[in-house]
Amino acid sequence: MDRATSRLKVLATIVAFTFVALSTRLWFLQVLAGPEHLREARDNSLRTVMTDALRGDIVDREGRPLVKNRLSLEVRIKRDELGDQAEATLTNLSEILGVPAQDLGSQLETKLYYAYQPVPVAEFVPEEVFFKVREEPEKFQGVQVVEQSVRSYPHGELGAHVLGWVGQISGEELESPRFIGYGPSDLVGQAGVEASYERWLRGTPGREVFLVNSDGDVLREFDPVPAEPGHDVVLSMDLAIQRIAEEELAAGLERARGVFDDDTGRYLAANAGSVVVLDADTGGIVAMASSPTFQPRWYVRGLTPVQERYLLQSESAPSLSRATQITYAPGSTFKPFVALAAVKEGIANLYSRYQCPSEYVHPGDESGTVFHNWSEQVGGYLTIAEGLKVSCDTQYYAWGSEFYRMAVRTNEEPLQRDVRRWGFGRPTGVDLPREAAGIVPDQAYVYDNPDRYPDRLIPGVDILLSIGSGETKATPLQVAQAYAALATGELCRPHVVARIEGRDGEVVKRIGGGCRRIPYPETDLSYIRTALRSVTTGGTASSVFAGCPLEVAGKTGTAERGSTLIQDTSWFAGYVPADRPEYVVVATVEQGGFGAETAAPIVRNVMGRIYREPLCGGESLGEQAD
Amino acid sequence: MDLVAGRAYAQERRPIRHVDAALLGVTGLLVVVGYFALYSATNQTLRLDGLDPFLRVDKQLATTAIGVVLMLVVASFDYRFLKVYAGFVYAGVVLSLILVRLPYIGSSQAGAQRWFQVPGVELMQITPSEFAKVGLAVMLAASLAELKHATPTVRDVIKVCVIALVPLLLVFLQPDIGTSIVMVAIVAGMLLVAGVSGRQLAALVAISVVLLVAAFQLGVIKDYQLERLRAFIDRENTPADVRYNLDQAEIAVGSGGLFGQGYLHGRQTTLDYVPEQHTDFIFTVVGEEFGFTGALAVLTLYALLLWRAIRIAFLSKDAFGTYLATGVTVMFAIQMFVNIGMVIGIMPITGIPLPFLSYGGSAMLTSFLGVGILLNVHMRRFT
Repeated sequence: MDRATSRLKVLATIVAFTFVALSTRLWFLQVLAGPEHLREARDNSLRTVMTDALRGDIVDREGRPLVKNRLSLEVRIKRDELGDQAEATLTNLSEILGVPAQDLGSQLETKLYYAYQPVPVAEFVPEEVFFKVREEPEKFQGVQVVEQSVRSYPHGELGAHVLGWVGQISGEELESPRFIGYGPSDLVGQAGVEASYERWLRGTPGREVFLVNSDGDVLREFDPVPAEPGHDVVLSMDLAIQRIAEEELAAGLERARGVFDDDTGRYLAANAGSVVVLDADTGGIVAMASSPTFQPRWYVRGLTPVQERYLLQSESAPSLSRATQITYAPGSTFKPFVALAAVKEGIANLYSRYQCPSEYVHPGDESGTVFHNWSEQVGGYLTIAEGLKVSCDTQYYAWGSEFYRMAVRTNEEPLQRDVRRWGFGRPTGVDLPREAAGIVPDQAYVYDNPDRYPDRLIPGVDILLSIGSGETKATPLQVAQAYAALATGELCRPHVVARIEGRDGEVVKRIGGGCRRIPYPETDLSYIRTALRSVTTGGTASSVFAGCPLEVAGKTGTAERGSTLIQDTSWFAGYVPADRPEYVVVATVEQGGFGAETAAPIVRNVMGRIYREPLCGGESLGEQAD
Repeated sequence: MDLVAGRAYAQERRPIRHVDAALLGVTGLLVVVGYFALYSATNQTLRLDGLDPFLRVDKQLATTAIGVVLMLVVASFDYRFLKVYAGFVYAGVVLSLILVRLPYIGSSQAGAQRWFQVPGVELMQITPSEFAKVGLAVMLAASLAELKHATPTVRDVIKVCVIALVPLLLVFLQPDIGTSIVMVAIVAGMLLVAGVSGRQLAALVAISVVLLVAAFQLGVIKDYQLERLRAFIDRENTPADVRYNLDQAEIAVGSGGLFGQGYLHGRQTTLDYVPEQHTDFIFTVVGEEFGFTGALAVLTLYALLLWRAIRIAFLSKDAFGTYLATGVTVMFAIQMFVNIGMVIGIMPITGIPLPFLSYGGSAMLTSFLGVGILLNVHMRRFT
């Protein structure tokens, strides 16, 4: 028995040890880690559900709606209300929706929604579904048909590139600090104003907090915070003028496709183009058309494979805005700014005449590079104004050579510096996403791009820049911005939104152009303005504007694309009325041939229709003149 | 001897005068704590299902009543009768464990064939493996008490092991790992107290390990049991759904802090986040709602219970009583330790009920049976 006694002591010791182990562990778990576990317990049982805010409207400058919300009917199933009727309900529902019951069933197995949240199974259903479900609720136990707001576009594709579209937030966006507070299924502006004014349009989502048990049963709902609708965005854009711009762009492209191009030996492709109409004083974008285009409403239901291929894979890249996201060599529309630079830097003056030969060779250059004038018929000694009027290239080549020599001598780049003052070579800061910056080639650019400049810095860089050719690149909006500055003496940031309004119409924020004066003497500017006026009265665009009583000042441009296979880019940039500018209009047509041929008639027609001047809206085509 | 004095002496030693009141009191307190915990664990879900929130507590009360009667019956006759009839008890245990495995007679859930459904009474189920623990203790105590040598020989040990192995295997194959563990502990504890040499104990441990490895290799261990074990050993790399029980239990107990969230105010408990919180995980309710102090109080009650039980083993008049009390002691100790240990994450999850607190009829009755035996041995320590 003694042995048993001693062994019982061993047993007692073991038992005592278990108590020590349990108490120690409890101390760690409850006292030391207690607060952390308390927080975990709270996270466990509180579920937050966000309710979408109604997105703000986008209206034109007169308050005419361009993007609104419309209600779409969505079928949702509350899984916890299906009960034992699940199969019958799904069968009945599949009949009225025309969707296999199996598909509906598999949608219910989602883990995206909590048990207490209804699962959407069909969107954009016809109204009759709503009525059928309401009439026979016993056949549709647990089914809800609810209204959901989606974007609607009363004017179809009008202004598609400006308005943009909304789509589900991407994984990348979700992780970016810009989108803090967004959930994985949230809609977010993906292009145009929808994207750049996302912050205003979105509104503030509401929030509902539920206390749920482990089965997902809601035991209590805390005071819900209602969603606050987004602000309305009022554009500087005018619905009527936008329509004019788009129609005239389309008509101009159509006309150009009937023009035979001698250089390439085929009809002009005129595959794409843009029209920008700026309010000369404020920098407000009154119209901005880009072709080819698309229907923003495609994105509401998600793109079909055909739409996706068209938008994302076709070479014409219809989703890109030709006015802000694609750059072109500006060609001769660039000349006024080069001329002003030449005057400013003392290379030329307003009173002398400069030779306009048919070809030009940089003095001392023995590489055999010859720069040709666009036409052999132009010649003689011309003033700056006369040179602009007939668009002489060789005068500018000489100034380009001079600028090159200055750059080599002083290690400064006055030409580049001066043209940048007009907004070239950097984004305008327009309130639209993913704007292209354009290029003003300078020494740094040359050294950064040895593949394009195998011979490094050569006079040709400045010579080509002087006629807006070569690697010089600008967006149509940059050209419009520069012409507005030329017309008014003030450089303004272009903007498509004029103001943001609350739901009650109170103005929350005004968007301005932040205009500042251009550092050029008024005499120089008015000299150039007069010259640009003569372009439409007696110069390269005179035949286009013949008979048009509007006082238009402007400049044609024909930019080579560096390949004989691709036809020239056709430009016209101008403003009206010449003495008291209201609108700046720029038309750009890819593979559109001469500026006077394709772009200038588009600008004339747009202006003619804005001012209701039938004599300016004719069908006549300009002659072949740069 | 003075007759009168002798009578007084006999009177003095009448079993009824030596009821272990402390043991009864501690048992009563544990049962009451159990009611409160059970109500907290079940009232919300019952209410949500439109049922009487006291449904489970009422049933536990009814079980308690039966348990008390059972305890009194067991305590009333001299425990030494058990030594004589141990063979019958053992046969009954083995027979019931075989019957429960037969189709139509035994009922099963989740692949385990475990209980008898009492005909006509839906809520009444009898789990023979629970009772088998006490039955095994009786049989082993009888066998060990019969040994002729002061220290058991190798033969004796083998004999005892073979006796234990039959019900143990039947339970293990159900499969009921939890009860198997308890039974192994009972065998080990009783052999220890019976004076088996250290070398023999070590050999037994080695054999157990070999058998366990064999069980894994032969696929007797089910996948979910393996997963639980893996969750315990390598928690960080265990998928959340496997860890769920473990995590939720720890959150519940941990969030109790020093003084608890208050009765019926435990967040995890009222919202039913811990699966099986009324049965195997009942201790989470104590931990969450009464905190560290409450948990320690309950541990103290168990400590008192075990102290009384070991004391009874010490005081027993004969070896049979000592072994019997030892068997019951080990049963309570291992269940308490493994159950609370698993709730707070220092033991792998196995289905072992917490004595007197976990909801469940057979477990409750078995615990009362154990206390009845302890009372019996204590009462008759002089006669």
